[in-house]
Amino acid sequence: MTDTPAAHPTDPFAPDALNAAEGLDPVAPAYAQVLRVATALNLIPLAIGASVFDALLIRHIEGPYGLITAAAWLIAVLVIVTFPSRRVSRWGYKIGEGQLRVARGWLFRTDTIVPFVRVQHIDVGQGPIERWFGLSHLIVHTSGTHNSTVTLPGLHADLAAAMRETIRRHIQTDFA
Amino acid sequence: MSDVAAAIPAAEGEPNWQRLHPATLALAVVKLGPRSLQFLPAVAALGFTGNWLWIVPAIGAFLLISLAAAWFQWLRFRFLVGDDEVVIESGVFSRQHRTIPFDRIQDVSIEQGLVSRALGIAKVGFETGAGGKENDASLDAIALGSAQALRTTIRAHRSGEVAVPVAADAPEVAPAHEDRLLFAMTPRQLLIAGLFNFSLAALAVVGAGMQFFDGLLPFDFNVFNPMDWIDIDEDYGLDQWLLAHRWIAGVGAALSLLLIGFASGIATMFFANWDFRLTREPRALRRTRGLTTRTDVAVPVKRVQAAILVTGWFRQRFGWHELRLQSLASDGEKERDHQVVPFAKLGAIDPVLNEVAIRRPDAGQSWQHSHRIVALGPIIGAVCATIGGGVALYLGNDVGWLGLVAAPLIALIAFWAARFHRWADLGEQVAIRRGAWKPKMTLLPHASVQSVDLKSDFILRPLGLATLVFGVPGGSSLATHEIPAIPLAAALDLRTRILAARARS
Repeated sequence: MTDTPAAHPTDPFAPDALNAAEGLDPVAPAYAQVLRVATALNLIPLAIGASVFDALLIRHIEGPYGLITAAAWLIAVLVIVTFPSRRVSRWGYKIGEGQLRVARGWLFRTDTIVPFVRVQHIDVGQGPIERWFGLSHLIVHTSGTHNSTVTLPGLHADLAAAMRETIRRHIQTDFA
Repeated sequence: MSDVAAAIPAAEGEPNWQRLHPATLALAVVKLGPRSLQFLPAVAALGFTGNWLWIVPAIGAFLLISLAAAWFQWLRFRFLVGDDEVVIESGVFSRQHRTIPFDRIQDVSIEQGLVSRALGIAKVGFETGAGGKENDASLDAIALGSAQALRTTIRAHRSGEVAVPVAADAPEVAPAHEDRLLFAMTPRQLLIAGLFNFSLAALAVVGAGMQFFDGLLPFDFNVFNPMDWIDIDEDYGLDQWLLAHRWIAGVGAALSLLLIGFASGIATMFFANWDFRLTREPRALRRTRGLTTRTDVAVPVKRVQAAILVTGWFRQRFGWHELRLQSLASDGEKERDHQVVPFAKLGAIDPVLNEVAIRRPDAGQSWQHSHRIVALGPIIGAVCATIGGGVALYLGNDVGWLGLVAAPLIALIAFWAARFHRWADLGEQVAIRRGAWKPKMTLLPHASVQSVDLKSDFILRPLGLATLVFGVPGGSSLATHEIPAIPLAAALDLRTRILAARARS
């Protein structure tokens, strides 16, 4: 329970520094690929849309044709290549004595703790992209209105199943 | 009890199946009133296309179909009160069969509108704690006597006593020997509460209505238009006098505003809380109130998650407070918490808090403050308003001044109100206060907390601050389960202590 953070991590911008400092385990690195594919699926249609807009409208009004297309594709590629691995390194979890801790984000960091006793039920889910990389996500439901679901993505499928079993045992033993 | 016959046994040969009270059909007729508004566009369409002849038959058909539908629904709705469960069958085309064990019923509420009271019937709602309002069953409506008998049966079952099967034709009410009156409101208290309930909301409604009907009224006079008053003055030769004494008009306007505000405040208070009674029953707090619509709601004591003390900047000086309890079951469709004491001094509130095992921090409690940075959001808003106003002025729109004037006000108020974000750990529970205009104090037992978020962002982190957010069952719009911008060490420490608490039994 007492996750005493080191006072000053050596390099706060190192990918693993944040999790290590807070005593958290990193999620599977393959989750970066999942995020990358998902981001690509979101951004590439947007970039295509920008290109079409550019070709149809900007050329029509004789504006600076090509500027929007180039910018859209540049940003899309940049985001797809660089962001996912950074985002993944901000995710961390710790399955500790009687509680699950999930932390995410850096600009807006949220560190959630759910005691196993308070878990209502558990889902282990797997989307098509996750299945491709052999990953699953764990969803923990509580009866609170805020945080009624806590999601932890980027777990190897067997690890997610094992975690589910651990939490499930606690729900049963603490049921009075 | 009411001498109106209880629900009539169905003719199926099974004596226990019951129907809703036949007066429910009368209720359906009343409900047709608002519903027929939906029909107005159709009537208008008929009128515009010149088919005047068809309007009366169309309305007639609409009424007939609606009544037939209501009658079929009544015919196909039946319920059975068994030894330890309620069975409800409903639906005209798609049948629905629902069984609710008594053990799962958290709370039986009885609600009576104006028409229902005249007819001696009541709507019975079963709170099962299932998520979503639509999942809770209700009997709308049965005779008041059988409603109370049904509740007595279910309560008796839950208290572990021998359940007396409810007889359809002999409504009985067990003597309320264990019930104890915790709080009641006398008409005098209601009057005081109403005076503090000063509200100009009614004025806005009337004003909007006047705007709307301005062109429709046969006389050309709008009470809310000062120019109309001046016209009248001119008619009577008063204008000269009034020009000399302009302040008279100002005072008159202010007085009428005050009158409307107080009258609407008192009226809403009387309608909502007439004959307010809060009683302690073996397992629950029971609240009955209402002048036209009487409601009867029970809050199971063990389901109470948090208490919220609400007051106002003005009434606070006189020591008046309002107590709400946040429970797993929600109060009606609108509110998400139960108002158990609408208006009382702290001395009257404490016994109620005692019943739900929540302690109020005393006057000597030392509070810890949130960092002033919580005012950042509104201040950013103020900056945006300034920029927007400036741009508008630059473009030659005088509305821009509004932004320029409002911005410093917003910023000042936000900065001032930030001082009122404070919290204290009372050992078994956390007290969170916020708000200057309408101070609210949330008393949150550690054991109600389901999950804890520790949040920080790029602004809080350099300042060494963090925000704690608690997940609590049965959320409330008034209750805040968040302690914003407190030192990281304090946040970590509080989180550890709260998570160590055992579940509330």
